[in-house]
Amino acid sequence: MLIAEAVVAALLLTGSFFLLVGSVGLLKLPDLMTRLHAPTKATTLGIGSVLIASVVYFAAIEGRVSIHELLITLFLFLTAPVTAHMVAKAHLHRDRATAERLPPAAGGGGWATLDDDPEPGARSEPSGP
Amino acid sequence: MSLALVVLLPFIGAILPPLMIRSGRTVCATVTGSVTLSSLVLLLIHAPAVYRGEVPVVAYEWLPSLGLRFSFFADGFGLFFAALILAIGLLIIIYARFYLGRDDPMGRFYCYLLLFQGAMLGIVLSDNVLLLLIFWELTSLSSFLLIGYWRHLPEGRQGARMALAVTGGGGLAMLAGMLLLGQITGSYELTEILGQGELVRASPLYLPALLLILLGAFTKSAQFPFHFWLPHAMAAPTPVSAYLHSATMVKAGIFLLGRLWPVLAGTEAWFLIVGGTGLVTMVIAAWIALFKDDLKALLAFSTVSHLGLVTMLWGFATPFAAVAAVFHILNHATFKCALFMTAGIVDHEVHSRDARRLGGLLHLMPITGTLALVASASMAGLPPLNGFLSKEMMLEAAGHARPPAYPWLVPGLATFGALLSVAYSARYAVHVFLGPVRDDYPQHPHDPPAGMWLPVAVLVALVVLIGLFPAAIAGPIVAGASDAILGGALPDYKLALWHGITPALLMSAVATAGGLVLLALFWPVRAVRDAMPRPEAKRIFDAIVLGAANAARRASYGLHNGQLQRYVMFFVVSVLVLILVGWQTGRLDAGTREPLAAGYLAGIAWLLLLAGCIGIVAYHRQRFLALILTSLVGLIVSLAFLYLSAPDLALTQISVEVVTTILMLLALNFLPKETVAESSVARRLRDGALALGSGAAFAAIVHDVLTRDFTSISAYHLEQSKPGGGGTNVVNVILVDFRGYDTYGEIIVLGIAGLAIFALLDGALRGPAARRLARWAPDQPRAADLHPLIPVVATRVMLPLALMVGVYIFLRGHNLPGGGFISALVVAIALLMQYMASGFGWAEQRIRFDYHVLIGWGVLIAGLTGLGAWLFGLPFLTSGFDYFHFPVVGEVELATAAIFDLGVFLTVVGAVMVALANLSRIARRAEPIPVPQEPMDYTAPVPEPATTAEGR
Repeated sequence: MLIAEAVVAALLLTGSFFLLVGSVGLLKLPDLMTRLHAPTKATTLGIGSVLIASVVYFAAIEGRVSIHELLITLFLFLTAPVTAHMVAKAHLHRDRATAERLPPAAGGGGWATLDDDPEPGARSEPSGP
Repeated sequence: MSLALVVLLPFIGAILPPLMIRSGRTVCATVTGSVTLSSLVLLLIHAPAVYRGEVPVVAYEWLPSLGLRFSFFADGFGLFFAALILAIGLLIIIYARFYLGRDDPMGRFYCYLLLFQGAMLGIVLSDNVLLLLIFWELTSLSSFLLIGYWRHLPEGRQGARMALAVTGGGGLAMLAGMLLLGQITGSYELTEILGQGELVRASPLYLPALLLILLGAFTKSAQFPFHFWLPHAMAAPTPVSAYLHSATMVKAGIFLLGRLWPVLAGTEAWFLIVGGTGLVTMVIAAWIALFKDDLKALLAFSTVSHLGLVTMLWGFATPFAAVAAVFHILNHATFKCALFMTAGIVDHEVHSRDARRLGGLLHLMPITGTLALVASASMAGLPPLNGFLSKEMMLEAAGHARPPAYPWLVPGLATFGALLSVAYSARYAVHVFLGPVRDDYPQHPHDPPAGMWLPVAVLVALVVLIGLFPAAIAGPIVAGASDAILGGALPDYKLALWHGITPALLMSAVATAGGLVLLALFWPVRAVRDAMPRPEAKRIFDAIVLGAANAARRASYGLHNGQLQRYVMFFVVSVLVLILVGWQTGRLDAGTREPLAAGYLAGIAWLLLLAGCIGIVAYHRQRFLALILTSLVGLIVSLAFLYLSAPDLALTQISVEVVTTILMLLALNFLPKETVAESSVARRLRDGALALGSGAAFAAIVHDVLTRDFTSISAYHLEQSKPGGGGTNVVNVILVDFRGYDTYGEIIVLGIAGLAIFALLDGALRGPAARRLARWAPDQPRAADLHPLIPVVATRVMLPLALMVGVYIFLRGHNLPGGGFISALVVAIALLMQYMASGFGWAEQRIRFDYHVLIGWGVLIAGLTGLGAWLFGLPFLTSGFDYFHFPVVGEVELATAAIFDLGVFLTVVGAVMVALANLSRIARRAEPIPVPQEPMDYTAPVPEPATTAEGR
């Protein structure tokens, strides 16, 4: 029991630490691209720890298996990267200064958000009948 | 029963002509005729009993609480009119078969005609006066359809509208009069009212009731000053004019005067108003008729004049005058209907109804000409025709009506009216049929097919026969009808050609001679008359209608100017006033409940809510920002629901929030991103004060409600949820069971809203809106990859997961938070994500079902579930549930409420997706983007706005 409590406490502490780091990062980092890392990476890790703590708590102390946390994790891991990706793309698209500092894209063809298709027409068909 | 069937048969039969017209015009006319014929036979079955002195009655309750009964009776007067309606109707049906052209939709014509016939029969056979009024208005409506039958003619449409406005308005006045009459006598049954004449005439309500009823009767029978609508109704096809405007509908007012004669007649007011109006109408209309060049207009005004004659006879209120009135109704129906038909034949053959362009037709159309001459001689009142007989009786009656002050006024004017009648009848005969044959007819005329002149011949034969043998042919009919009006005391009269040298005969001779002299002097008199100014009734009517319409428009637009802010302001101000009044006048003690501590969590949420609201006010011109802030408010509200232990509401709120935000984002794409500042500072200050005031008022109300104990129905719902509805989720049980009927109504409204979105946005794809849309260019730069790989893949992976969540929420809804509505929104969001990530075109190609049908199925399933309860003898939407044991799965509860919930689910999904699909149609029209084939696609430079066909 004591061990379980200790594990839960440790996980909660770890989670809280990363959540705090994420929030501080969101506040302190200088520009959007760097600021994006804080809530997506640190916070995801923090939430993950809290969720694991929850699983352990219910399994070891309440004595029942809870799968909600797994689902929450799954959806979180799906949504956070997509959100981060879309925010970054929108930023690239709207902020010309950032776009001009970009390195050339690997494999030629340019950045998808900014540059046109190198082989137009190869991948799409005209709109429906 | 068969008496009610007499009335109902034409209504039932009215569906036949539009169906039978496919078998040809003759079959259609035959079927219509047989409907009328069977109704006539059914009616005549009652005739022997009626003439023995019995009164067949049939009655069913309809709305007993209003005194409305479905009751009919037939006495001699009603039978006389009903037989007239059906017999002449039969002739008209035959005539119309040959009159209507190949291009005229005959099925529709006969359908309207039968509807009219049924309504007319209802008037003359109704026992209940309220039922009579229903049929009265039905004749106005069906005659509207008949007058406007040639929809392409503006005169037809205007004439129909005028007739409806005048007669329908008069009908409303009569409704009030009839209600007064019912109040006086305590019954709405004519058979009971008719015996209480003394009571009615002594009542203080007599005069208002009389005036209102007369207003109805005079408008219907085109009495002065309401005579103007009848000539304009002549835009109708001639069979309609012959039927409605000579034989039947215009006689409805006359009929009613006769019907209520025993109750209302006999007072000074009756004599002055009815007799005076009749006399004035008779003379004025005859004067106008004489100078009308259009044959139908001439006949129309002559009809008005003759109706005035009958009205005058009722007005005399003597038994002899009443008999004369009945006799003249019969005679007028025969000769005037025949005359209208001959006018129709002339129009049909010559293609002109202008008396100035006609003449000499007797030589070219000998049959029609002869018939017309005989009929017009009867109208003029020449012996030995039936018109002569009743005109003699009229003059006789007029000779006895001598108010002491002006003893010669009535006889003199009556003779003058008869003189004019001779003049216009002679004009119809001389200027159209006699004289030399001309060579400038628009079309060379000859006699029409027998089908057209045979009905005329039948009527003219009656004209002659009644004239020669009045006592033998018309005697019993007139006696029966008069007997019903007079209540058994027939006066001393004799229907005969020769009464000896009487004052009436002398007056008649003067009228005939004078009329012929007047016609001989026609052109000089006309020159004098044309030089005089005359009021034009149609122009006055149009001015009145225009004035009324303008006043109504000013009143409505004064209140409803289309500005939504204004409506909201009216709402807010009136609620605020109500609250303030309540505050001032009510008694309010301090609350008794202890307030709870808010906690810091609630405090933070409250601050966020406040920040969101202030943000919206500050940034409401930037539409995207305002939308995001609105959704912040919604999010906090759903958190508040969760905090206050209402998970169902929280789930609903958050899913509604997501769906609306996404849909609004899609719609905002096509709108300017910023709103222009339009309101002045003073106005904003005023609105701000209103908003703060109402917010404070509501806060106070909520505070007062929450700080005291009160009982509500919720305890009952909580208690009954499991035993009564079989579910532990009270919210869901209330929605699908306790208040299922409300929910049913709501999903119907939602479905209608979905279709309304379709209708509104569909309009943007047509006409000028579509051209503007095709010119639309995005106001923001587009990314080169419109459908980035990561969201595409993520949403596709999520789709089955999200659908599964939807199913899960649906299934558990009855016992745990969830249900059809939330689950539908979850499913809709899952589909919305596909549209957002992979593009409209891609998603549309894959989601192939029709959302309109989905809405229909949803409402249908919910309704059928409700109807299912009837199979068990339970009220609509009673739900049933039971527990079943399944192998492996275990015990499962199955409730019919779940099927109802499925209906809710389908309707909600359908409505959301209809909105989405239509936004996406607009988007694809505005920005025709190629449909991607692979998850990752670059989109080549956006193509020119092409005119590609609409894809689905």
